[in-house]
Amino acid sequence: MPSASSPGVSGRTGFDRALFGGKALLLVAAGALVLAFPSMAPDAFILSVGVVIASYAALAVGWNFVGGFTGYISLGHAAYSGLGGYATALLIIDGGLNPWVALGVGAVGVAVVAVPIGVASLRVRGASFVIVSIAMVLILLLVSQSWAEVTGGSSGLRVPRPFDEDVLRPEQHERFFYLHVALVVVALLVWWAIDRSRFGMGLKAIREDEDKAQSLGVPTFKYKLVVFVISAFFTALAGGMYALWFGYLDPIFQFSILIGSYMVLMSLLGGIRSLFGPVVGAVIVGYALEFFKNQYGDTQFHLVALGLLLGIVVLFMPDGVLPALGSLVNRFRPKAASIREESAAELLERSEQPRQAEEVSR
Amino acid sequence: MSTLRSLETEGLTKSFGGVRAVDGASVAFKDGRINALIGPNGSGKTTFFNCVTGMIRADGGRVSYRGKDVTGAAPHRIAAAGIGRSFQLCRIFPRMTVLDNMLVGVRAQGLVHRLRGGHNADDIARARELLGRVGIDHLERSEARDISYGQQKLLELAGVLMTDPETIMLDEPAGGVNPALIGRLGTLVRELNAEGRTFIIVEHNMEMVMSLSHHVVVFDRGAPIAEGEPAEIQNDPRVLEAYLGV
Repeated sequence: MPSASSPGVSGRTGFDRALFGGKALLLVAAGALVLAFPSMAPDAFILSVGVVIASYAALAVGWNFVGGFTGYISLGHAAYSGLGGYATALLIIDGGLNPWVALGVGAVGVAVVAVPIGVASLRVRGASFVIVSIAMVLILLLVSQSWAEVTGGSSGLRVPRPFDEDVLRPEQHERFFYLHVALVVVALLVWWAIDRSRFGMGLKAIREDEDKAQSLGVPTFKYKLVVFVISAFFTALAGGMYALWFGYLDPIFQFSILIGSYMVLMSLLGGIRSLFGPVVGAVIVGYALEFFKNQYGDTQFHLVALGLLLGIVVLFMPDGVLPALGSLVNRFRPKAASIREESAAELLERSEQPRQAEEVSR
Repeated sequence: MSTLRSLETEGLTKSFGGVRAVDGASVAFKDGRINALIGPNGSGKTTFFNCVTGMIRADGGRVSYRGKDVTGAAPHRIAAAGIGRSFQLCRIFPRMTVLDNMLVGVRAQGLVHRLRGGHNADDIARARELLGRVGIDHLERSEARDISYGQQKLLELAGVLMTDPETIMLDEPAGGVNPALIGRLGTLVRELNAEGRTFIIVEHNMEMVMSLSHHVVVFDRGAPIAEGEPAEIQNDPRVLEAYLGV
């Protein structure tokens, strides 16, 4: 930050540079680990867990476009992942499209559908928005269950695989792992670009105080709608990608409140204000889910365990894991910064004295 | 003094349940001047502000700004028209830095403009200049929630100035602020007015109102009961009655 001109504001300190270097190193290491994961996975099951986690990450990053920027908590984002899955499947089956074209066209279609939904639901805030967002999933669940001739209803829908029959299961997992990771990377790049733009500045202002933002000229409704549609698009891509990998869709799992809750949980856990928060959250929650499911089998105990995890995070790290780590690191920051701020405040007080005297003398 | 018409309302009305907060208020503020809007608690000043700036929708009446009808326009359109405002209980973006708080308020126009970097050099230079002007430029990297209430008030004013408004509406700028800062705010308002910005100020601090304003409008029960220069207003029997109940 080129801010050395004003008193009390230091430019980039040695600590900042070290922190930046540390972060870059961590990012490279994490990237290398992700790329090497398929070759390190001991068996196809672990590999498939990796795909599930990557899929969760794609969903969570998609969710975080609207949740992270605007603070609107949508519990019903499964509507868009589910629609993305069904759109992709039906475009292949009934439309005869190439699977990857179907994936893209399906997501664009979902984005178009998200426009009227956004126009209707973004008029309300806070808890009301949460309720409205849930309503959409429940409607879609009922529709997709009843409309059996198109969706296959409760007996499910088989999705044709995009790769040839001779590509074996582990090979399929590996390819889909990389495809999901690529989707996450693209979504993160778009999130990052928005974060840095004036558009993103307006969105973050909406998260802080929507009326105030609007009074400063931010067209809040338009901004929310645009980011909501972007969010639906990426969530639909994630849902479509999952459908292509898993090869089977059932309304009860696609349009489930649980999937939407996972997206919220993962993003909150990692930190909705940070770029990588949802990814970190997806790794923790995804791993925990698979671990608990493995431990407790068909019981619903994995949900109890997950609930406890959420409770602990909300109590001790309300902003999420990444911000908590960030403030931990900041404790090691040289103390000078805070002292400088105090003395600067005193400076202000002093600079006010003469002006006050001037006022009084009038 | 400019001959342009400033903010005008005609029969503006707003009720909350059975309470007529603003009751057929017709007011014309003077362009290029420091206008004050005073009145007892509950006389409808803030509701009037909120109706004019589009924060709440009026039940009836018209609002025009510089001859253009802006009745029922959304707050961001009012801002784009050139009216900036502060809030009664100072409102800033608590979890953004002081500098980022400033960068929200840019009179943004067009898609290219919106896709531009949020931290571009032009905006930052302007933000720093304005922060320097209100005297808090040394705090630019602090989170807004960490600075003092008085500093937050200054930040709010500086943030409004980022949108380069021709008219600035301040809702109780002196509320909860120490005397030194009230003096500082007064000086700023005078300077900004000298540069041609119109002010409309709701304020209870009579000393500030009387020393600062050129034109005073007195509200009671949702409508203006008197207006004029500060000296006239101070001796107006209707005003004394509204305030003191005599």
